[in-house]
Amino acid sequence: MALFDLRDETVRYDGKAVLKGVSLKIERGEKVALVGRSGAGKSTLLTLLHSQHPEKAALVPHDGGLVKTLSVFHNIYMGRLEANPTWYNLVNLAWPMRREIEAIQPIVADLGLADKLMQPAGELSGGQQQRTAVARALYHDGEVLLGDEPVSAVDEHQARAVLDTIAAAHDTMVLAMHDVDLALAYCGRIVGIQDGRIVFDEPAADLTRQDLAPLYIGEA
Amino acid sequence: MLVRRSATVNASFGFVGIALFCLIFADLEVTTLDPWTELGRMAWGFATPDFLAVDQLADALLQTVAFAVLGVAAGSVFGFVLAPVFQHFGPVRWVCAFIRAIHELFWALIFIQMFGPSPLAGILAIAIPYTGICAKVYAEILEEADLRALKTLPPGAGRISTFFYAKLPDVWVHLKDYTFYRLECGLRSSAVLGFVGLPTLGFYLESFFKQGHYSEVSALLILFFVLIATIRLWMRPRIAWVYVAASPFAIAAGAGTTTFEWVNVQRFFTEDIVPAPLRNAEILDPGAWLNFGDWTWALLSHQALPGIVATILLTQIALVGTGILALAFFPMISDRFFGRAGRTVGHVFLVIARSTPEYVLAYIFLQLWGPSMLPAIVALSLHNGAIIGHLIGRHVNELERRPDAPKGVNLYAYEVVPRVYGQFLAFLFYRWEVIMRETAILGILGIHTLGFHIDSAIADIRIDRAMLLIVITALLNIAIDICSRNLRRRLRLRSTPDAA
Amino acid sequence: MLRKSLLAMALAVIAGSTALADSFVFTAIPDEDETRLKQRFDKVADYLAAKLGVEVRYIPVKSYAAAVTAFRNNQVQLAWFGGLSGVHARRLVKGSEAIAQGYEDQFFTTYFIANAATGIAESKDFPKAIAGRTFTFGSKGSTSGRLMPEFHIRKQFGKSPDDVFSRVGFSGDHSRTLALVQSGAYEVGALNYKVFENEKKAGKVDPAKVRITWTTPAYPDYQWSIRGDVEATFGAGFKAKVRQALLGMKDKMLLDAFPRKSFVAASNGDYAPILDTAKSIGLIDD
Repeated sequence: MALFDLRDETVRYDGKAVLKGVSLKIERGEKVALVGRSGAGKSTLLTLLHSQHPEKAALVPHDGGLVKTLSVFHNIYMGRLEANPTWYNLVNLAWPMRREIEAIQPIVADLGLADKLMQPAGELSGGQQQRTAVARALYHDGEVLLGDEPVSAVDEHQARAVLDTIAAAHDTMVLAMHDVDLALAYCGRIVGIQDGRIVFDEPAADLTRQDLAPLYIGEA
Repeated sequence: MLVRRSATVNASFGFVGIALFCLIFADLEVTTLDPWTELGRMAWGFATPDFLAVDQLADALLQTVAFAVLGVAAGSVFGFVLAPVFQHFGPVRWVCAFIRAIHELFWALIFIQMFGPSPLAGILAIAIPYTGICAKVYAEILEEADLRALKTLPPGAGRISTFFYAKLPDVWVHLKDYTFYRLECGLRSSAVLGFVGLPTLGFYLESFFKQGHYSEVSALLILFFVLIATIRLWMRPRIAWVYVAASPFAIAAGAGTTTFEWVNVQRFFTEDIVPAPLRNAEILDPGAWLNFGDWTWALLSHQALPGIVATILLTQIALVGTGILALAFFPMISDRFFGRAGRTVGHVFLVIARSTPEYVLAYIFLQLWGPSMLPAIVALSLHNGAIIGHLIGRHVNELERRPDAPKGVNLYAYEVVPRVYGQFLAFLFYRWEVIMRETAILGILGIHTLGFHIDSAIADIRIDRAMLLIVITALLNIAIDICSRNLRRRLRLRSTPDAA
Repeated sequence: MLRKSLLAMALAVIAGSTALADSFVFTAIPDEDETRLKQRFDKVADYLAAKLGVEVRYIPVKSYAAAVTAFRNNQVQLAWFGGLSGVHARRLVKGSEAIAQGYEDQFFTTYFIANAATGIAESKDFPKAIAGRTFTFGSKGSTSGRLMPEFHIRKQFGKSPDDVFSRVGFSGDHSRTLALVQSGAYEVGALNYKVFENEKKAGKVDPAKVRITWTTPAYPDYQWSIRGDVEATFGAGFKAKVRQALLGMKDKMLLDAFPRKSFVAASNGDYAPILDTAKSIGLIDD
């Protein structure tokens, strides 16, 4: 059975359809990139996927979804709130537990945030915040990772490092991607979206950069 | 072509219209004969504060702070506990609306009936209405929390963990600021409760004021202004608990401690508040119920109804007065309009205007103009106008500024007022019910508001009448609160006053 | 934070409720010079302690009603009341009685005063010319500043004060009634004759600005009232001891706290006229 199975889904915001009769199946072990212009419906599609299996998915939302007044550590820890009793969570909020810090340290080291662990997330740069959001998703350790432009705010070199980390940790992932080269490099399957519809759905191996160009016509 | 007026401007004209209509019925006659001797004595007194004459001054200050700290601490803790269920649980909302609709002074009078003039009465008189206020405002602040983090949380994270990790941290600063603002209000409440017997600054202030010892009054007021103006220097979030822990000792060491007997509380509920015709009567005696009908009707027609009319007239006029003065006052403390020296003068003026009890202001204006609604309107407008002016002024200082902005009046009219107008109206509508509550304490002017009749009933030891009138006052306040909320919603004003 | 606050609250409550349960406590209505109340009455407390052989404390209150409530709640066992507040208190506390009054209180009076600009002169008969003026009482619960003047106004005009005068205020205090009428904020007012005389001595009355227009007939006013249950706590004969101590107070410095020449014996019956007056104008229900 497919992990995700959308059938003829239509989503409206304020009466305007942003997804129009979309059907999509994703199996375990697939790495899928959703590509298309901004506003095409990628984020909505990701949200829809997340709502199918919130318990299995780790989400990196477009805006990061960080609590800016809390430290990087606490934001990452939030990925596993459900794993501990409430009293433990509250104590850890006031006095971070050594055990939790040690569990989180390797993840922040991979993402180049080791020295920022105890800083409030709101004080970090956009790229650092984005990596914090990724770290939270990694710490959550869901079966599937859903990322909405998870590397849009970091430079190409770092983007590859982040994606390497994500890909190593998750067999299954669905990433909304703006960057065609990264999509082709990290994902086995590319789904093109335009005006709320899926316009193609091909293995990455069969596609080149030029094949995807029409999706972006008219965009600067 | 005409510019289409915005909804906020229309609403403002509506309120001005209502106030003008009310003015037709308001008694504004100036009847004074020779105010200058007494005013001269006041002016001389205020110019020559006598700090030495007030013994127990340090104690009065200490008590003022201690009662405020304990009352606000209890109110904010209970308010915080209630806030998360506030929006989802009707009864909590209604109870909170009811308890905050009653002025601290009336709570104090009620608790003095139960506990006598004891510290417990004072603390509860602050804590109870503040619980209602804090629950409401905290709930509104929590509603405005950025909830984007919520959807990233794993399912099963638990309500409490979710609340403390994903919701609370985002709005913590607002909660803290608001609580500090409430502490300033609490200091004022604590001082004013001295008028009914708490051993705070108000206790001595009222005594000296009654006797016409204006130099001592001046000293007390100056101390109080300094206390309020320096609140951020002596109170820090980190050491708040020290104050909370020390306050009970300060209160216990002070005067006014008395014994506590449970029978008095019992008596309050089983006798005092039972309407006189029903007291000691058989429950099925039709005669008693007929008397009760007459009693209720007499109270409603002679006191409640005229009281409601007077209260509404005064409130609506003072509300518009408050708005006008607030718009006039806020530039005084804004760096967009005045330099450092000018702003300092502005700050001093606003602290004085907002921290002087309305009652003292009313007395001064009574000397000037004689008894009528005029001194009450001016006193309420000045006091509340200074509070809102202060809040708006601070808000203006935080606005982003463009380098090519106009200056002076153009800046005021084209740039600043249009940008803060929504916030201004939100504050004003918040203050609406406060102004209504404050109309209660102006009985000296012979204005028969509901509060005047409540005070009279207490003075006559007719607690049953007082309770009925207090309930009516609370209902009127709740009605105003509902109007205010609907208006704010319709005008899409930010629901939370970013008070501090 | 939460736990600390709760603990602190509990402490406050305990501190407030355990203070000196067995001392004899008295209060006095805030009527004369309210400043330095504590110093003046602490001396009276010391005097009583020496005479009675028990610990005696004074607690200040802010209003007539608070004094009555404290008496009713047994937070004070003895109180220096006005005529009306004493009647209120004794109606509420079974077995309580008036035991002493000031010498002057046997024939107390109220002055009606008017601002000179009104042109109302002093007269033997009730000055009907005050109708239509602005008028201020003192405190709502005062005998001399409220009860008696309202009684005479109703008697003379057959109408309530609100219908007689153009505006009716409650200054809250005798001294302020004087200040308000002297400044003309109110044209006419009524106050305790003793306060007026004291202010006159202190040079605060300007005869060019304010004058007495009428003096009411005499009535009984201030008195000491004691709870009926004191003997259960302090032993048989305690009431008589308190009365003796009050009547034996000769030190001028102590008497000045009230201020009275001396104290004489009194009984509940002495105050029947006050009760009837209060009932007749509807301040007390039958």
